Amino acid sequence: MRDYDNAMRNQVFSLPKLLKEQYEDLEPKTRKLLTTPEIFAIQKIVITGCGDSFAAGLATKHIFELLTGIPTEVVTSIDLSRLYAENQLGNSPNNPFIFAVSHSGTVARVGESVERANKYGAYTIGITSNKDSYLGKTAKKTLDLDIPKFESSPGVRSYLVSVLSLLLIAIRIGEVRGKYTMDVAMDYRKDILTQADLLEESLTSMDSKTLALALEWSEMEAFDFVGSGFDYATAWYGHAKIFEAVGKYAMHINTEEWLHLNFFMRNFSKIGTVMIANSTNPSLSRAIETINYSLELGRPTLVISDLKEKAFAEGCTVIGTPISKYPISIPLTQFVPLALLSGYIANMIGEEDGRGCKDNWSFAQHGNAVKNSEIIVK
Amino acid sequence: MLKNFTLRTKEHDVIKLNDEIVEFVKNSGVESGTCVIYTPHTTAGLTITSYWDPRGLEDLQDEIRRIVPTRIDFKHQHDTPQDAAGHVKSSLIGVSMSLIIANSDLLLGHSQGIYFLEFDGPRNREYFVKVQSDR
Repeated sequence: MRDYDNAMRNQVFSLPKLLKEQYEDLEPKTRKLLTTPEIFAIQKIVITGCGDSFAAGLATKHIFELLTGIPTEVVTSIDLSRLYAENQLGNSPNNPFIFAVSHSGTVARVGESVERANKYGAYTIGITSNKDSYLGKTAKKTLDLDIPKFESSPGVRSYLVSVLSLLLIAIRIGEVRGKYTMDVAMDYRKDILTQADLLEESLTSMDSKTLALALEWSEMEAFDFVGSGFDYATAWYGHAKIFEAVGKYAMHINTEEWLHLNFFMRNFSKIGTVMIANSTNPSLSRAIETINYSLELGRPTLVISDLKEKAFAEGCTVIGTPISKYPISIPLTQFVPLALLSGYIANMIGEEDGRGCKDNWSFAQHGNAVKNSEIIVK
Repeated sequence: MLKNFTLRTKEHDVIKLNDEIVEFVKNSGVESGTCVIYTPHTTAGLTITSYWDPRGLEDLQDEIRRIVPTRIDFKHQHDTPQDAAGHVKSSLIGVSMSLIIANSDLLLGHSQGIYFLEFDGPRNREYFVKVQSDR
C-alpha cells in the first residue's frame, strides 16, 4: 500500500479522529444554532451547495424528512439563485429555511443564492468555515465550522463534516419539535460517534480490498456510480472524486434510471460500475436486481454495502461499510471506499488532483472559476 | 435503610408506587420512624393523590399541563420545550416526600396513593426510599 500512498488515502485514515473531534465541536453548536421558536417556525427546508456540499445535501435530505417530518428539497445553487420561484421564497414568514453549505464560503453561486433568498424573505443559514466570506456575511446565521488543516486532496474530510453538520441539525430539529424523546436524540448522536470506532476497525480491510480493485480498475475508461435515496448521494460523491482525482468520464444515476439508460453503453468491460446498496434502503431489492443485470452484461461491478458479501451475486466485488444502529448514520462512512478508490487510481495512473490547474485548466487556479463570477440577484 | 427502585415510564405517565414502598417499610423492621421517598430527576415529581378513579390521574396531569403548558418561548432552550416545561413542573410538584411510619406501617389515608409523575417520557427512571427509625 505504501507504493500507492496518496493524500486522499491519508485523509481517509484521519476520518475516525476527525469525526470524534468534529462531533465535540458541532454537537453544542448545532444545539444552539436555532432557537426553539425558529425551529417551530420551519415549514420547508432547502439545502443548497455546489460540488461535495451539494452531495452532502443529497445525503441528508431524506434524513431531514425522516427525523423532522418537514418537506426538504436539495436545490443546486444556480437554480436557487437564478430560477427558484420568487413566491416560494418567503411564502411564509422566514420560510423556507435554507441551509447553504460552503466550507470556503467564497463560492459565488452559493453566496448569490443566499442573497436572493434573503431578498424574498427566506431564512438563511450558512454552514461555513469562513464567517467573513460572502456566504458568511450574507446568511442570516452561520454554523461556524472549524476543520483542522490537512494534506490537500479532493474533498474527503470536508465532506464528512458537511454531512455531520446537517445530520446534527436534523436530529436537533426533530428533537425540539418532539418527534422523538431527548433520550432517542442522544442515541442517534451516540450512533454517529460510534461510527468513528467502527470505521477505524474496518479501515484496514476496506483499504486492502479497495487497493486490489484499483489495481484491476486503473485502466478503466469510465465509471458509473449508481444508487437511490441517500445511496445516490454516495454515488454522486464517487463520480465527483473520479472527475477531480482521476480525470476520467464518470456518471451518477439512480438505480432505476441506470436500467433505462446507462446500461446501453458500449465498451461495457471498460466501465467500472459502482452500485451503492445499503441494507435499510427501501430500494434494496431493485439495487440487487440491477447488480445482477450489471454482472450479466459483463460490467466490472463493485458493490458498496453494509450487507455481507453473500447477499450479492458471485462475480461482483463487495466492499463492506460499518453497520450502524440507525440508517441515518450510514452516509458518514459509506463514501469512504470511493475516496480510497479514486485516490489509488489517480496515483496509479499518475494523475494530479484537478490536473494541477495547469495548462488548459489554469483558468481554475485557486478556485477562480467558481469564486469569481458576476453576481446577479433578481 | 436505603433502597433504589427503577421504573420505565411512558410519556406523561402516572405510576402508583404504594405496593413496593409499603412492602419495603414492612420488611425494614422499623416500628416507628420516617420514610423519605426521593427521585433524582428534574422532569419528574412525586405526589400523593387518590387512587380510586384512574381518570383522576389524567386530571392531575391535565391540570399541571394547564398551569405549565409546553410552550416554545421558554428561555431554557438547551434541550426541548417539553424538557423546559418539565423542569418547571418538577420544581412545583417536588421530587421528595416524607411519610410517617407507625406500628410498622406507612401512615397513609385510605385513599392516598403515592405516585411518580412523569413530565417527559418515555424514560428510564429511578427513585430511592430511605427508612429511619425514631430510636
